[in-house]
Amino acid sequence: MGIFGLAPLLLVFPLIGVLFNGLVGRRFVEYNRQTGEKWSGWFGSLMALSAFAIAVAMFFGLGAHEFHAETVVLFDWIHVGDFYVPWAMQIDTLSVTMMLVVTGVGSLIHIYAIGYMHGDPNFSRFFTYLNLFLFFMLILVSGNNYLMLFVGWEGVGLCSFLLIGFWFDRVNEKGETMNANAARKAFVANRVGDLAMILAMTLTFWTFKSLEFQPVFDSAVEMFESGHMVHFGAFEATLGGVLTAITALFLAGAAGKSAQIPLYVWLPDAMAGPTPVSALIHAATMVTSGIYLIVRSNVLFEIVRASEVVIPGINISSPDLVALTGAATAVFAGLIAFTQFDIKKVLAYSTVSQLGFMIAAVGMGAYVAGMFHLITHAFFKALLFLGSGSVIHGMEHGHHHLSHGHHDEHDTFDPQDMRTMGGLRHKMPTTFAVYMIGSLALAGIVPLAGFWSKDEILAHAGTNPGWIFTVVYWMLTVAAFCTAFYMGRQLKMTFFGKPRHAAAEHAEESSPLMTRPLMVLAALAVLGGLLNFPFFSESAYKAASEAHDYGINLALEHWLEHSIASFELSEEGIVHMPHTPTWIQFDVAIISTILAVVALLAAVFLVYRNRWQTADERDPLQSTPIWWMAVLPFDTLYMKGIIPLFNRLADFLGYKIDWDLWHNFVHERIIRDTFVGFANFASDVLDRQGVDGLVNGAGQLTRWLSGGLRMSQTGYARTYALSILLGTVALLAYFLWPVIF
Amino acid sequence: MGILSLLTFFPLIGVVALLIMRKASDNALKWVAISTAIATFGMSLVVLGQFETGVAGLQLIDRFEWIEAWGIEYHMGIDGISILMVLLTTFIMMLAIPSSWNAISSQVRQYYIFMLLLEVGMLGVFLAQDLFLFYIFWEFTLVPMYFLIGIWGGKNRVYAAIKFFLYTMAGSLLMLLGILYMGITNDTFSLPDLISGRAAFADVQNWLFLGFAIAFAIKVPIFPFHSWLPDAHTEAPTAGSVILAGVLLKMGTYGFIRFNLPLFPEASVEFAPAIAVLAIIGIIYGAIVSFAQKDVKKLVAYSSISHLGFVMLGIFSLNNQGIQGAILQGVNHGISSGALFFIVGVLYEQRHTREIKEYGGVWKAMPVFSALTLIVTLSSMGLPGLNGFVGEFTILLGSMGAESLGASPWIFTAFATTGVILAAVYLLWMFQRVFMGPLDNPANEKLRDLNSGELAIMLSFMLFIIWIGVAPSGFFSLMDGTVSKLVADIGSVLLAGQ
Repeated sequence: MGIFGLAPLLLVFPLIGVLFNGLVGRRFVEYNRQTGEKWSGWFGSLMALSAFAIAVAMFFGLGAHEFHAETVVLFDWIHVGDFYVPWAMQIDTLSVTMMLVVTGVGSLIHIYAIGYMHGDPNFSRFFTYLNLFLFFMLILVSGNNYLMLFVGWEGVGLCSFLLIGFWFDRVNEKGETMNANAARKAFVANRVGDLAMILAMTLTFWTFKSLEFQPVFDSAVEMFESGHMVHFGAFEATLGGVLTAITALFLAGAAGKSAQIPLYVWLPDAMAGPTPVSALIHAATMVTSGIYLIVRSNVLFEIVRASEVVIPGINISSPDLVALTGAATAVFAGLIAFTQFDIKKVLAYSTVSQLGFMIAAVGMGAYVAGMFHLITHAFFKALLFLGSGSVIHGMEHGHHHLSHGHHDEHDTFDPQDMRTMGGLRHKMPTTFAVYMIGSLALAGIVPLAGFWSKDEILAHAGTNPGWIFTVVYWMLTVAAFCTAFYMGRQLKMTFFGKPRHAAAEHAEESSPLMTRPLMVLAALAVLGGLLNFPFFSESAYKAASEAHDYGINLALEHWLEHSIASFELSEEGIVHMPHTPTWIQFDVAIISTILAVVALLAAVFLVYRNRWQTADERDPLQSTPIWWMAVLPFDTLYMKGIIPLFNRLADFLGYKIDWDLWHNFVHERIIRDTFVGFANFASDVLDRQGVDGLVNGAGQLTRWLSGGLRMSQTGYARTYALSILLGTVALLAYFLWPVIF
Repeated sequence: MGILSLLTFFPLIGVVALLIMRKASDNALKWVAISTAIATFGMSLVVLGQFETGVAGLQLIDRFEWIEAWGIEYHMGIDGISILMVLLTTFIMMLAIPSSWNAISSQVRQYYIFMLLLEVGMLGVFLAQDLFLFYIFWEFTLVPMYFLIGIWGGKNRVYAAIKFFLYTMAGSLLMLLGILYMGITNDTFSLPDLISGRAAFADVQNWLFLGFAIAFAIKVPIFPFHSWLPDAHTEAPTAGSVILAGVLLKMGTYGFIRFNLPLFPEASVEFAPAIAVLAIIGIIYGAIVSFAQKDVKKLVAYSSISHLGFVMLGIFSLNNQGIQGAILQGVNHGISSGALFFIVGVLYEQRHTREIKEYGGVWKAMPVFSALTLIVTLSSMGLPGLNGFVGEFTILLGSMGAESLGASPWIFTAFATTGVILAAVYLLWMFQRVFMGPLDNPANEKLRDLNSGELAIMLSFMLFIIWIGVAPSGFFSLMDGTVSKLVADIGSVLLAGQ
């Protein structure tokens, strides 16, 4: 076991943080605001850093362990009949990669939040939630079975709910509780995906008699090779068919958590939460869980691909459906981002779009490329969100400064509206510099991190045969163009031109506590590409292969292939995983770079060249069909279609059916009245003298009981209770007589 | 006299004490009731200590001839199906009795007498192994509950009490007929003897099954027999609702497992799909109707219909996961819904209204209470890591593998799982309207947070919410022996049927 014995600490540290801030943090802050905040914030950050240290230890531990996975069993969880699930951690290269990202980026964001949340009355509650989030996220990535993954999966959903609704008492000008609504929307949308997850897990268990990753994958391969049918209860089906269902359900689960079509609608609303939350949960970590799930289940997806089973009705296989869903989301969300004026909403739709890239990658079997993009995206998107937080902070500061002078307009001011910004590069030079790096990395400009990871996905799509790959390639290329364009638009609106609002004019640079984490992330956004740097040519790759010395090239791939069993299964010829090019595809790279540069330039110097001299100008795209994206998408369908329908159904069932019809009409009018009528008839007409017959007796009983109660209300209850009691005692005496003697 | 009889009738000591303390103050009476409830809980722990896990059959048996001429015995016994129900009963009573401290101010003595008598009845129901004896306990529980609702209830208490009494009584009559029929054909009312002699009434078992099923279905309640529930719950005092949801409803699900499955296995297999369909309608219907409620107590009441739909689905999956999940989910529902009713009571005591729109922003006024309520709410909606999820997931797992549900069990599972979404919809909507949002009703600004008694009760609920959520294996192992044997028994019937 050795160093892996430390693994449980990964969960223990954040839990200590939760307990500290949840139970006593508030007292510290209330006792002394200044030092209390330091204690609360730094304690939480220290727990995050400690977890990061453990993750690093795991990293080196795996290196010393020749990258073999290690399972650390904590204790039994559920054991019913032949169903057994433990609390156990799986330490392998994939889970450690996720741990490093989660705790690494997480620690930076914790530190940033000390500055960002300064002065908030619920400062310690915020850090409780952040630590709780880390705890659940680490359960998600470290569990050795699907059920534990699901604990983390829903747990992070809960934290997302709590953090989106952190300012739950805020209302908008219409009096709606927007933050609380957004929180609930996120939870419910995620639950739709969770329904699929629960079904997938129940199906997985009965098919493979386990929910632990390794046994599931082993028996899947074994059943696939031997051609066994799936059989449980009275149910029978082919393995390919069952796995198609399971993987399609995983896709639905991933669509919920990783915000894909048609469940992405919660993520843009989630921006109501504090900005560090948007960076940590809604960009860098939680929303990538769906990608992790699919990478983790790569064996199942590859078996479906190899067995060539298609989903009935649409005639494409489930991995292909994953790829198409991701690609469609990438384009779709990329277009919606054109129409947003809120600085965070642009980034939110951008996140949806980039998650689409990752989902498309893993659907195409480019698991390493997907993970690569997940990591670089965590760096530059966290950077952008925190940067936008710095901007918002600066704007609020400027506005605050302003409203000291004149008190007239501070009610309508929105510090996140890009139309009121402009010219911030002079006011906030550090933020501008790091934001620029983040934007260029996201847009895919050489040699920043985003370029390498995005191009690996594009190269994979561009070089593999089949119409699916071609379609995905072109969709992703369009999405990449969109990315560069909306980022160009955002840069122009935020940092260039002249300030369009007095708040922008008085904006100030944020404190070092906030800008230093930004600089670290900026460095990562620049250098992140080195993680899986591709070879420059085929011959270089071959030479390195023969010498078994890859240097820095393909480091991530060699690291992750120890956890992605499909590599080995492919080599053995059991499955046929599509191959990702191991050297730069110059045609793909040149096309995407040219498109990115063109899009950036087009946004800045063509479309928006003369735009926004004042805050109330229209967007030039507002008169084009692209603007339909602002209203057309699924959100409208849900909010205007399904939800009112559900409300009406609920009212109809609740009041018309259950109450008026079933409760009042059937029970009161039909059953009771008939009965009472009959009983009266029986006693009045058939037998005036008294109690005779069962029906009559029951009628009398009713009156007797109500009479008893009337008595009770008029003070005879004591007598009544006593008589009941006497009866009981008599009965008990009768019972107990033989028992005692 | 064996330990089980001692446990069952132990609360009578408190009853006698309450009767003879004629001059005592109300507080003294309350303390007598509380200490009796605590002692009874301690007693049930002693039973747990003597209980041998893994044994399939009845243990700690107490068996005597009672009415020899009719073959009626005094027969008490405990096994894996009963043990958790007994513990749940004593646990819920231990929390329900002190929760009435402030709420009940009139006729205090009678109130606690009825509470303790109710406990005797419920323990008897879960321990009696003679059908006649069972029936007496079963009917006996109606009486104290009837008075608890009718005397200490809300505005329409008389109506609700009578409806509760008559509705359940009517259902039980058919069961009584079934009991008498079996007793007469087999010359015994003892359950183990009837199970081994079930061949004697195998030809009419469908009718017998229905007779028992209707009695239990009303108690659970299974859709569409639920019409008494919202009335009883909204009118009952807080502790009454806690006990009603916590224990009384479980008498129905317990009855199915204890009597219907082993006595009429072929009929159980045959009726399984039909009951599963009703269970699933209940899950969905209960959840949607719950969503529409404007009264928070009624909302929780309707949610019981949804939750118990899961339990019924589990039972009629007729496999280990389904039935064990169902028993555990019964316990979970007792804890979570019991806690929710207690929560409603805490609010009601201070504001005297249960209208959801009267609240809002309570979190700001009562931070500790609200945080704990959130955990209970999440437990009720089945958040993994808390108790509700363990039960719900094992039930869904059971239904997916259920042979009794035919060649496409996944259709049942898929529909039932929608309850997971709907639970989030109605519970979060409730939570948001009561606890989140601005604190804009001045009447809510004066709300005080939990006092130490209330906090202790909440933390007791919390202990099991987390314990069962994180480490339920101990709970499962208590029932595993008995349920495995029951499942094997039904399995052999299924096999013979093919």
